[in-house]
Amino acid sequence: MGGKCPHRSVKKRRYSHKTARRTKFLINGDDMVYDALKKPEVERPSLPVDEDLPGMGQYYCLHCDRYFANVSVRDEHFKTKRHRKRVKLMMGPAPHTQLDADLAAGMGMPDNGPKLMAM
Amino acid sequence: MRLEKCWFCSSTVYPGHGIQFVRNDAKIFRFCRSKCHKNFKMKRNPRKVKWTKAYRRLHGKDMTQDSTFEFERKRNRPERYDRNLTEETLRAIKKIDKVRAEREARHIARRMKGKKGKELKEARKELEQSISMVKPPALLKEDPSLTLPKIQVKVAQSQAEKNQPMEE
Repeated sequence: MGGKCPHRSVKKRRYSHKTARRTKFLINGDDMVYDALKKPEVERPSLPVDEDLPGMGQYYCLHCDRYFANVSVRDEHFKTKRHRKRVKLMMGPAPHTQLDADLAAGMGMPDNGPKLMAM
Repeated sequence: MRLEKCWFCSSTVYPGHGIQFVRNDAKIFRFCRSKCHKNFKMKRNPRKVKWTKAYRRLHGKDMTQDSTFEFERKRNRPERYDRNLTEETLRAIKKIDKVRAEREARHIARRMKGKKGKELKEARKELEQSISMVKPPALLKEDPSLTLPKIQVKVAQSQAEKNQPMEE
């Protein structure tokens, strides 16, 4: 799951290791996970049965965006340092967004003009 | 023409510059240069990278609350063209820019206040504490040219106190 590519020997360093890092590119971004976690639990989509995913896609960790083979493996994952770090991160302030970048650049809040239709 | 801000460092992205990444949930990330793009790909947090505007704002290095920040905005509903208004805006831009530069300079000056005295104090302390690295203490006793001159303290009051019992 992501991380640095393990092939550090001189001979293997010549090859592209992009495939080894592929899973890192595929996982959801921090802001997507943060938004998903903010929703109340009833609104979260139920896990559909998918035979391509580990454990038919039934054992999912929302924080790390990972599927597990069964309950015990998933519960073991909940105890890992990596997962707990991620939980801590998601408890903190909201991830950086384009709006934050605009505000930091000295812009005001976006101006959407007057409301066209009375609500 | 719309001048966008870089997602990572908040600098202005002019047309024809930088690169933009559209994620599969249709969110747009704009980058002013490859440096910012690479930092994004490394999943770095702009709030923790010291050279970004987000960091500088968060840590009080730059001015944060000011009325000059209210002018530049993303306007999602275009205004009807008005020649007089445009002329006035163009004139105002120069003035606002000047005001902002002055205020920023003042902010930095306020932030740097007391820095020189602090540095001097630290240097004096270091010199006092580690002068023995330059010359051993035994040699210094013979030749006190390297030590700091003793700061003179007024002793007038204590002398007066000493004198009083003698008068009695």
